[in-house]
Amino acid sequence: MSNKAKGKINPDMLSKYGIYLVLLVLFVVSWMANENFMTKSNLTNVSVQIAVGTILAFGQTILIISGMLDLSSASVLALAGVLSISAYLSTGSLIIGFLVAILVSVACNVLNGLMVTKFKTPPFIATLAMMTMARGAALLYTKGQNIYQIKDYTIFGQGNLMGIPIPIIFLVLTLIITWYILNHTVFGRSIYAIGGNEEAANASGINVDRVKMKAFIFNGILVGLAGVIFMSRVNGGLPNGAVGYEFKALTAAVIGGTSFSGGVGTAFGTLAGAFIVGFLDNIMVMVGLDSYLQQIVRGAIIALAVIYDIWSKSKGKSKKLIMVEETKEKVS
Amino acid sequence: MKKWLSMFFAVALLAASVTGCSSPAPTTEAPEGSEAPADGKYKVAYVARAQADSFAAWLANAVKEESEKYDNMTVDIFDGQASDDTENSLIENAIANKYDLIIIQPNNGEAQRPYAEKAIAAGIKVITTNARISGIEGASSVDADPYKQAQVNAELAVEKVPQNANVVILKGPPGNFHADERYKSWQKEFFEKRPDVTIVGEEIANWNKDEAMTYMETWMQANKKIDAIISMNDNMAAGALEAVKDKPEFAEIQAYGVDGTAEACLLIKDGKMTSTSLQSAYDLATALMDTSNKLLTGEETQIDMDIDCPLITPDNVDQYIEMHKKAGAIN
Amino acid sequence: MSQAVKLEVKGITKTFPGVKALDNVSFSVKKGTVHVLCGENGAGKSTLMKIINGIYKPDSGEIVIDGKPVNVKNPIDARKHGISMIFQELNYIPEMTIEESFFVGSWPVDSIKKVDWKSIKKKTDDLLKREGLAYNSKTKLKDLSVSDVQMLEILKAISYDSDIIIMDEPTSAITNKEVRTLFGKIKELKERGACIIYISHKMEEIFEIADEITVFRDGKVIDSRPVEDYDLNLVISQMVGREISDSYPKQDLEIGETALEVKNLSSKGSFKDVNFAVKRGEIIGFAGLMGAGRTEVMRALFGLDKYDSGEILINNVPVRIHSPQDSVKHKIAMLSEDRRRFGIVPVRSVKENASLSNLKRFIYKGRLHKSEENAVIGEYFKKMNVKTPTMDTTIDVLSGGNQQKVILAKWMVTNPDILILDEPTRGIDVGAKYEIYELITKLASEGRALILISSELPELIGMCDRVYVMSKGQIKGELSAEDITQEKIMYLATQN
Repeated sequence: MSNKAKGKINPDMLSKYGIYLVLLVLFVVSWMANENFMTKSNLTNVSVQIAVGTILAFGQTILIISGMLDLSSASVLALAGVLSISAYLSTGSLIIGFLVAILVSVACNVLNGLMVTKFKTPPFIATLAMMTMARGAALLYTKGQNIYQIKDYTIFGQGNLMGIPIPIIFLVLTLIITWYILNHTVFGRSIYAIGGNEEAANASGINVDRVKMKAFIFNGILVGLAGVIFMSRVNGGLPNGAVGYEFKALTAAVIGGTSFSGGVGTAFGTLAGAFIVGFLDNIMVMVGLDSYLQQIVRGAIIALAVIYDIWSKSKGKSKKLIMVEETKEKVS
Repeated sequence: MKKWLSMFFAVALLAASVTGCSSPAPTTEAPEGSEAPADGKYKVAYVARAQADSFAAWLANAVKEESEKYDNMTVDIFDGQASDDTENSLIENAIANKYDLIIIQPNNGEAQRPYAEKAIAAGIKVITTNARISGIEGASSVDADPYKQAQVNAELAVEKVPQNANVVILKGPPGNFHADERYKSWQKEFFEKRPDVTIVGEEIANWNKDEAMTYMETWMQANKKIDAIISMNDNMAAGALEAVKDKPEFAEIQAYGVDGTAEACLLIKDGKMTSTSLQSAYDLATALMDTSNKLLTGEETQIDMDIDCPLITPDNVDQYIEMHKKAGAIN
Repeated sequence: MSQAVKLEVKGITKTFPGVKALDNVSFSVKKGTVHVLCGENGAGKSTLMKIINGIYKPDSGEIVIDGKPVNVKNPIDARKHGISMIFQELNYIPEMTIEESFFVGSWPVDSIKKVDWKSIKKKTDDLLKREGLAYNSKTKLKDLSVSDVQMLEILKAISYDSDIIIMDEPTSAITNKEVRTLFGKIKELKERGACIIYISHKMEEIFEIADEITVFRDGKVIDSRPVEDYDLNLVISQMVGREISDSYPKQDLEIGETALEVKNLSSKGSFKDVNFAVKRGEIIGFAGLMGAGRTEVMRALFGLDKYDSGEILINNVPVRIHSPQDSVKHKIAMLSEDRRRFGIVPVRSVKENASLSNLKRFIYKGRLHKSEENAVIGEYFKKMNVKTPTMDTTIDVLSGGNQQKVILAKWMVTNPDILILDEPTRGIDVGAKYEIYELITKLASEGRALILISSELPELIGMCDRVYVMSKGQIKGELSAEDITQEKIMYLATQN
């Protein structure tokens, strides 16, 4: 009973793998545009640059798949980052600093989760509120000033392990963990089910509130990690840092095939989405494209990605099922 | 119950964004006359452009601290949140609450001009600062000139930047008065005088360290030779230098900024940054409070003044590091 | 008494995808009479009325008014033809005031084409006064009681000076006193020469008010006669009288101990004092008309909705169920009647849908054991003859029948002791239906307790050991063995 026409381009396949095709095309075009693009150092560079945003994007991916989202991640990142540096500077312990970042970020996300599950606040509103509060808290704590002289804290974002930049190691780790969760755990399955049809998931015996909380907590861990790497890379506790990164993360997730209608998305897809955005930014700067034009291009890519997402989803769906439902209502 | 709570969140959020959160809420008692107040203290409102902008925050903090030295004034800080609407509303509130003096750090001079005039018309004293709004009858001003701030660096660059150099430029937010003036200054005082210099990269980094860093990293991939970083502020220069650090090919790179932040002073001391010019929030704050005091006690009726923007180089950086140490910005 | 024919329905057929709602329907309505339409849920009465009122277009056939065929384009157009309709579901906008709602769609205008509120207010006030209703014309509808809103609906329809008035279950929400008022109005209308098409399930009402009765079944007109030629038994038997085939795979199974007992379950506004029990190996049925409360009872039992009072005992032990998770823990499963909303996750695969309620079963060393999952689910699909291209096909491309089987498989994977099936074969083709009956019987033979909610009487008769019949939120009776007949069920289901 499949609607897939034989011989034509299969919309399901295009929807799943089209993203990698786009990435490939981008690569080839960039290579031709600037000879320095396809060098080990440039590619490594870009990967380090996208690390923070992609780690945030993995958190967004899990949330969006379950039908939610997080507008607060950039602000919480900043709050967690400045408190983390502060803790390190007063105790001298990198581990304590790191843990503080995770703790602060998880705490903020637990609040997000409570607003959504206990108080039935739409995630958009709840995380929007947190976005403002966390940023305010970061500014209040630092009196709006950057924290300088962070000494060894720079290792998280600027260090190397066996020749590989540490942010890339973190990136790969979070990629694998996110992928594993989505594909090999009950938690992951529940996320997909809740996002695909929350009422059906509930009626099937899934503890929806508990799963949503877990999703926010996982997001919190990633955001805290992102905060550490970010501050470490810029060599300072910037309460104003990472402004707009939550949208970068959302963009990567959406371009990577995560759908706002819920129940759909993958870790690798998000990675591809992040690379597309990252490499696009990279090549635009390398060829010296005008700043304002760059902004337009970025916006256009998002619009195209979302339109494509909606289009490919509507093609695959069975029209027959919609009609049977209409019938049920009419015949009474 | 639950629906009510989510409504509450929404309304609270709306209220917060419209009124603008500020540090200590002003104690608005019943408004008194604009003559010497009952408790002997003049009420001063300081309307900042944005708490989130680190220079503006530095300035606001400095003003608050400086105000402690005066027994006859209390200063309340308000956050304009980088929005003309918000800032204008705050000025109006200050007028309604019968403040004796309003200091305005405009987001956009022309947008705040009519409200500054309203305050004057209501008999309230007005000082505009960073950047001054010129031509308001009866208002005073305290400022540093962004054109000059960039100019002192540009003049040094004309001497120091090697022949046929490749340079990159880091710009402030579009439409920002300080960013535009400084850029104009560099255009006239450097680029017109040094036509041999090539610009290999020019991007808007919005005063931000992380954005500048990312751009610099990418420029380094595209260009083997970059001789100088020309930045409209210290944050962005520091970001670019962060990217360049530990890269032997760029060990000789020059870097020019503006502001004279603690970080920049340390970088100059380390020989990594070439020069910056001081936009001392401390000096501005001192001047503002002194001017406020003179206006409130009637010693003067109108003052316009500029603070200096001294060039900071490795030769004289030590005194500025001392200054930052005294203020607690450097340990 | 030979009055002129006002409205004729001639050969109307209407098909929706997959379902023939009306099949060559013909009857006629005389001026100054009340013509009652009877039939079960889904028999086609409401669909026909919507066609007359211009909401749907028929596939073939025609509507003839005063001897001339008409083409009713929409409800406003219907009013121009003298047709007005009172709906079964109250269609009103709570914020509207009485006077606004009265003239919705056809507000009188003054000379400069502005809405003439003055004349509207006067007309509304006059009407309210005439009917003895103590309301201000500016009262908002949401401040009125449900029965008042319904009365106003009736008044509105009558006020249009229509001569064909359709009333679809008009007394469903009003008090007895108001029913008297309504019947008085109807008498007035008849005297005026208008005709009324009246749909109802309430037998006493029908026999009081009808001049003629037409009985529908499965989209067809079975018979049409003057009320004197009918009695209750004949109406009921015509409503339900279809051939009951012996093609239900019913077996005589061993019936064990009581698995589930429900005592005095009540939920304000939905159901009251519900008592029933199911034993192992039993299939009990829940019959009733739409709105009787069967689904509400089961949803409360399963933990999807709250209830006010009552007890639930499983294996004679009282349990507290607050959520579907609790139910699953207690080995209860429920196949919802609204598959689209509560059953399937449309964007996920058939395999993921089928394992959703018992993912724990596939955990091995902390992670999901996918090959085990594929094997187990694959087995179920094979046994149940689920037709799907692959295990990873998204469920929403499957046919309704196959989707239902997947969801049924989902519940079987939980190995439930008690299974509630709410309209399991609704909207499903005949072949798949039979397969589902076989599955149900098999489940019972394995010693599980099954509850079957169904609106298809033959299904209940063919599959169930006992049948509880509900009406208006209460259990009106329990039938067993030979007593389970369509007539007896329908009789209880139409009790007030």
